[in-house]
Amino acid sequence: MKISLDLQLKDVPGQLVKALVPISNFGGNIRSVVHMREKGPKGGRIPVHVDLNIDNPKSLEKILKDLEDKDIWVSKVGEIKKKKNITVIIIGHVVDTDVRDTIDKINDIPGAMVANLALAMPDPEEETSARMDIDVDDAEVVKIVLKRLDKIAKDKGFIVVKSLGV
Amino acid sequence: MRIQIIGFGNIGKGLAKVLIKKEKLLKKQHDLKIKVVSITDVSGTARDDKGINLSKALEIIKNGRGILSYPKATKMNGIEAIKTIQADLVVEATNTKIEDGEPGMSHMLQAIKQGKHVVTSNKGPLALKFQELNNSAKKNSVQFKFEASVGGAMPIINFAHETLSGDKINAIEGILNGTTNYILTRMSKEEKSFEMVLREAQEMGIAESDPSYDIDGIDTACKLVILANGILGIKKTYKDVKTQGIRKITPEAVKLAKEDGYVIKLIGEVKNNNLEVSPRLVPKNHPLNVEGVLNVALLKTDLAGDITIVGKGAGSIETNSAILSDIISIWRTGI
Repeated sequence: MKISLDLQLKDVPGQLVKALVPISNFGGNIRSVVHMREKGPKGGRIPVHVDLNIDNPKSLEKILKDLEDKDIWVSKVGEIKKKKNITVIIIGHVVDTDVRDTIDKINDIPGAMVANLALAMPDPEEETSARMDIDVDDAEVVKIVLKRLDKIAKDKGFIVVKSLGV
Repeated sequence: MRIQIIGFGNIGKGLAKVLIKKEKLLKKQHDLKIKVVSITDVSGTARDDKGINLSKALEIIKNGRGILSYPKATKMNGIEAIKTIQADLVVEATNTKIEDGEPGMSHMLQAIKQGKHVVTSNKGPLALKFQELNNSAKKNSVQFKFEASVGGAMPIINFAHETLSGDKINAIEGILNGTTNYILTRMSKEEKSFEMVLREAQEMGIAESDPSYDIDGIDTACKLVILANGILGIKKTYKDVKTQGIRKITPEAVKLAKEDGYVIKLIGEVKNNNLEVSPRLVPKNHPLNVEGVLNVALLKTDLAGDITIVGKGAGSIETNSAILSDIISIWRTGI
């Protein structure tokens, strides 16, 4: 899992190494370290942002405990979820068949969210074309979204043009 | 090598032209002398055990007559010709019929039964009963080759079998129909409607007067079945393909795709035992984004990675490049 840590280090030499050693000692793979000097120092401490990968949550607990023991403040811990984005084009009476309902049916899927919708309507009587960008958490959610889109297309008489490779 | 040509339309005539053109080269490079001992079309069969005069046969057809007008031709049909005329190889080049695969299916099975090698461009029988044909050929120890049935001059099947013989091919995706590629390319470039571009394609002879076979994805589905069986060993038939054509693609959809860096292409895809033909969004810089009537296929392999093959997907001479290559391959491995 990918983790981000916001640390507050004392503004004295050797503090960064002191903060990074517990991370590598407990199996963390450091991806990036950014000094946020423009935000500090506050109370004599400099904010530092660290991104790292760890194999299991137990390692994170050990890292946090060791940082605390070394008097390094951890102001924020977060898991970074890399979103995927899929694009589809829908052709049919997209507006007349309740576009809000179509979007809701996708947003109802945990880990999926319609991020953008572009519509092109040549004439109110004719079929609409819509490009939909959907943010999804992972490949499993992609499968669920595509299945849901197929169901919506069948129910509402749409054609769904999917991206290659999904 | 004694050859029978069954079907003397565009492909059969193209083969005759190619054999005339390549006669010296075949002899010089491959020590191969091809003798066409019979030609059959709907009117009958021309036969000459010493070899038909191909220029004369082409002249007769050019003048609007059937092959029955060739000297001493009879009303013998394809099955009878295969049964009674001595030959090493049958080129089955009748038109594809997806409803029942006939008469091509019976021609091929009869030829195999007679111990004759078969080379074909006819998709219908392969899309419906690939395994039956392949098993029958194995049982009768003859070669059954069908490079020309997919992608015309795009050498995908022999390439996969020979050049990639050590690789495991996990999936294939591609544009396997030149007519739909032409229509979608024009829609994207000119922002014209599907109907207008289709009419233009019909006037140019790129689309048939009844274009449904191409635009409804039937042709692509047949080719996909052949690739699935012939390359991936997946035992599926035409009825197993989920097929969606391009009739409903609007100029607005093409424009929306373009604005986001995509083009719309009719893609045939075989992956994880599933066969699907559908319009797809292809990134503009993707290797599958080829234009006009070109065909393209991307093979996903375990050792070589992704390999893309591009070629002219139709045309009687181009398709006969594949037929000739199959004939030479059979000659090399011994008849």
